[in-house]
Amino acid sequence: MKSPREIIESYSGRPLRIMEVCGTHTHEIFRCGIRKILPPQIELISGPGCPVCVTPPGYIDSAIELALEHKALICTFGDLIRVPGSRMSLAGARSQGAAVKAVYTPLDAVEIAKENPDKEVVFLAVGFETTVPSACLAVKHAESEGIKNFSLLTSNKTMPDAYRALGNCADAFLYPGHVHTIIGSSICLELLKGGISGVVAGFQADELLTALAVIAHHADNSSEAFFENCYKRIARDEGNPAAMRLINEVMTSCDAEWRGLGVIPGSGLKLNATYAAFDARLKFNVPECSGTPHAGCRCGEILKGLLKPEDCPLFGKVCTPVNPVGACMVSHEGSCSAYYQYGR
Amino acid sequence: MCVGLSARVVSVKGGSAVIDATGARRTVSAELLDDLEPGDYVMVHAGIAIAKITDSSENESNQIMEQLDEKSTGNN
Amino acid sequence: MEEKFVTLAHGAGGQQTNELIDRVFKAHFANPEFTGDDAAVLAPWSGKTAFSTDGFIVSPWEFPGGNIGKLSICGTVNDLACMGAVPKYLTCAFVIEEGFPLDKLEEIAAAMEKTAAEAGVRIVAGDTKVAGKGQVDNIFITTTGIGEIMPGVRTSGTAAQVGDAVIVTGDVGRHGCTILLARDEFGIEADVTSDCAPLNKTVEELFSVTKDIHVIRDATRGGVGTVLYEIAGQSNVGIRIDSQAVPVADGVRGVCGMLGLEPLYLACEGRLVIFAPKEHADAIVAKLRTLPYSGNAAVIGEVIADPVGKVVLTTEIGAQTMLPPPGGELLPRIC
Repeated sequence: MKSPREIIESYSGRPLRIMEVCGTHTHEIFRCGIRKILPPQIELISGPGCPVCVTPPGYIDSAIELALEHKALICTFGDLIRVPGSRMSLAGARSQGAAVKAVYTPLDAVEIAKENPDKEVVFLAVGFETTVPSACLAVKHAESEGIKNFSLLTSNKTMPDAYRALGNCADAFLYPGHVHTIIGSSICLELLKGGISGVVAGFQADELLTALAVIAHHADNSSEAFFENCYKRIARDEGNPAAMRLINEVMTSCDAEWRGLGVIPGSGLKLNATYAAFDARLKFNVPECSGTPHAGCRCGEILKGLLKPEDCPLFGKVCTPVNPVGACMVSHEGSCSAYYQYGR
Repeated sequence: MCVGLSARVVSVKGGSAVIDATGARRTVSAELLDDLEPGDYVMVHAGIAIAKITDSSENESNQIMEQLDEKSTGNN
Repeated sequence: MEEKFVTLAHGAGGQQTNELIDRVFKAHFANPEFTGDDAAVLAPWSGKTAFSTDGFIVSPWEFPGGNIGKLSICGTVNDLACMGAVPKYLTCAFVIEEGFPLDKLEEIAAAMEKTAAEAGVRIVAGDTKVAGKGQVDNIFITTTGIGEIMPGVRTSGTAAQVGDAVIVTGDVGRHGCTILLARDEFGIEADVTSDCAPLNKTVEELFSVTKDIHVIRDATRGGVGTVLYEIAGQSNVGIRIDSQAVPVADGVRGVCGMLGLEPLYLACEGRLVIFAPKEHADAIVAKLRTLPYSGNAAVIGEVIADPVGKVVLTTEIGAQTMLPPPGGELLPRIC
């Protein structure tokens, strides 16, 4: 029996473009150096799966306004603190006196609200289905404990729409294991019917190698579309029904703006009417994000793997890791950022 | 968007559980999982246990690879 | 009636200032060179002199494994030791927030006394200022030190050579992890204590193995990863690290896993990164492992010719990847 690595390294079939659509997959693939062991026929491309990278500048601007104008205490996952808005990042706002606190979980933000009854505490709810339940649970906790000074500024997004939008850009998806731990694999089967291939993958080096080996094996043996869940020990086919019930109880679908891509209809989640009292946009009259991407930014095509970073007129000139315009330049692992720092 | 952590359940009380991951301990929400017991392994994301872990990555990988092997042997 | 807190009067230069100095600083720092004069008067030595200064701000000011007093001695002692110097004399300047408890100030002074004694340095001059409530976070300390370079020793950040072994003197990231936990911002508990320690005796022992050591640098804020990038840049070399060889304590690994942090970028306060010719590496590590603060010493990598200025990691699957360069504030990740 060949090891996953042997299968990958000896792959000599048709050229394969595999898109990972999760920031943590991208991070781990970089960290382990998996790209370095791929044969020339296999190309890994980074899709727009990092919610931090796709958070639009307008959203950061709104958070900063809440902090500086409304004196709200902003609680956030640490990743967002460095992400630039149109004028500054939350780190910059903090140096101007904004109260910005990194938390491990939105549930802690509710506790902070409880301990600071005289302050408005706003949690920055970004992320895909993996993270949405934690924000929903925070709202439920706040509601049941009668905490009125807590709200969410939502910019949550859903993965299925991204799959549908990007389905024809790659030969197979590396589906993010923890998104599917929540939503299950029915969406993957639905995409399979439409001819879209993919495998659900875990995040450790051995799990990523196994998933890539499964893709290589299928591509070697058949030209038909395929789907396999390689993360069943955690991501059940039915997902986490309690988490899905919670999301459906608290949130509702909405349009969402993606940095570098613009607004994709129906690709977001926001609090529904029942929980409107916890919606910071309503509470503080914050407008929806509906910014238009920078005219020169080719982020969309780069995310889809249609262009290389150096094909973008902004790359390295207007758009740099210190002053990123598009999503691909925001995080260290973003395709443009990696190109900028290491070359190819 | 998935920094997850596999951790051992140390204790369960009401809707929350104390978990231990290589010596780091924290209380997390256990509200989205039924019947958690001390000794179970769970996947934790953003302070919430989102799934029970039923097997090791080694075992799962071995099973997947064996199945692949059977499939290709079957094809030949 | 005894004052229990530091007040602005303690910093005004009058009788109360003298009382503070007598009660706290003279009581703990007494030595023949520590006089009431405006400056310490010291005899010269024959060797070259190393001279360094460092400011210490740490919140919380006390933490498992030490406090800001111990830290302020170790920091400057270790900076001197890294240049191959035997640290001799220190000065210290305090900025204390009004209302800081006097007994806590004594604890800090006592830790400084103990650490200075262990390192064999004398505190020969000092200064105390009191700042208004809220103007500083409890207490800031600046220490300045001089030491005599050991004969035949020449270490520098520019001196790493292709083929050198890269050695760390112990598990990485403990101080940073300890402070992160002590701030209790993330609700995480782990049995981790700071590695804060004076390392001049370690360095002296190191030179008893060989004088042929190219670089010694103490990994402080920014951790071992930052030191590696500094040396790669200063010496115009590349560095390859075996990620599996880097010692990390269990608790630190767990906390890093939970928050998505890289242990190589967590602060240390008692760890040296040593660059020396490969043929001496085994003897150096063997010696280090017999010493009190370097029981987990390990070779973690080597100096390579390319890519210049970069740090390459050999990962758990044997692939080569770039260690992300140091980047500002350490923030927990979700993504």
